[in-house]
Amino acid sequence: MPGLFDRLQKEIENKQGEGGITALDLADLPPALRKIMRLMLRELELNYPQLKEAIASLPDAERLPMNEVDEALDVLTRQAWLIRIGAGEKAIYKVNLRRKAGSTVASGIWNTLDSKLKK
Amino acid sequence: MSKGKIVSIHSFRGGTGKSNTTANLAAQAALAGKRVGIVDTDIQSPGIHVLFGLDENKMGKTLNDFLHGKCAIREVALNIGEHAFDAEGRSKLKGKDIWLLPSSIRGREISQIIREGYDVNRLNEGFQTIIKDLNLDYLFIDTHPGLNEETLLSIAISDILIIILRPDSQDFQGTAVTVDIARSLDIPNLILMANKAVPKYDFADIKKQIEETYHAPVAGVLPLSFDLADNASKDLFSLRFPDHEWSKALRGVANAILAVK
Repeated sequence: MPGLFDRLQKEIENKQGEGGITALDLADLPPALRKIMRLMLRELELNYPQLKEAIASLPDAERLPMNEVDEALDVLTRQAWLIRIGAGEKAIYKVNLRRKAGSTVASGIWNTLDSKLKK
Repeated sequence: MSKGKIVSIHSFRGGTGKSNTTANLAAQAALAGKRVGIVDTDIQSPGIHVLFGLDENKMGKTLNDFLHGKCAIREVALNIGEHAFDAEGRSKLKGKDIWLLPSSIRGREISQIIREGYDVNRLNEGFQTIIKDLNLDYLFIDTHPGLNEETLLSIAISDILIIILRPDSQDFQGTAVTVDIARSLDIPNLILMANKAVPKYDFADIKKQIEETYHAPVAGVLPLSFDLADNASKDLFSLRFPDHEWSKALRGVANAILAVK
């Protein structure tokens, strides 16, 4: 029977499979959302109180009101650019980067290449 | 944010001396007593390992193994301070806190990652985890020239972005693209470095021209050097020839990195 960690991991993997953000998408975000995403990328994951603390520690000019932060978190989560596990004060947030796509070159070419490369 | 700073080294075009510069900057930071990691994210054409005296046989686990879930990121980190005593320059790193995380140079492993792609979340987790695991002051990321997923990610998460260009019209135009992206990603510290400048020109003029073009500081103009070419990536040039003009200018760039709070 899967444990709590396994179930959470499965939930994260399912959500990651739904798309994700690229670094170029980050550049197109409004400044407030971009700051949140960059912070998340560096910290890997933050729970809601940690997020509030991190926002509070930003310089005055960069600090965001918490209602804007909440709104931003909702938008990012709906777009699957951020993964939210849990809800409210116990929610944990994690950036969901889009997987680097594999080559679209025909598989036969790769198979031929592999047969010529040593293991 | 995490304590350790991420320093990405990028150039829009190949052949700017990016890996050589990255290895030497990281080595200078280690000599200054900093705990330093270097990641080779040039997965398609890795090369920085050569400057640290590694080949396929001396490499253990690689970034490719980590991206494929075969090992933890800590297992990829090779302690250069314990291994690289086979050349005069590298021997100065003995006992220093410097680790290299190489990419695989096995043809099949390179082709596999190009063919299948990889989880970019895992790459970022690797960066952040190794900073914490090794308590790094600096993580230098050697990127693939141009713009691709791993390069854009490394730029996006950087505290300091070093863009290398040659005083050349093609480099000037390409660099403008990277500078624009860095600015749109709010990178806190953007530093430019000119490499392979022809010695007959006035380096102060080159510096002024680049700074006026990009409105960003130039931390060094490094000369085109036959001595460096003669070194042929066999050793860390700035450690082997510390009094050479190239090495002096490189230390200026290293000092600019170390000065960032």
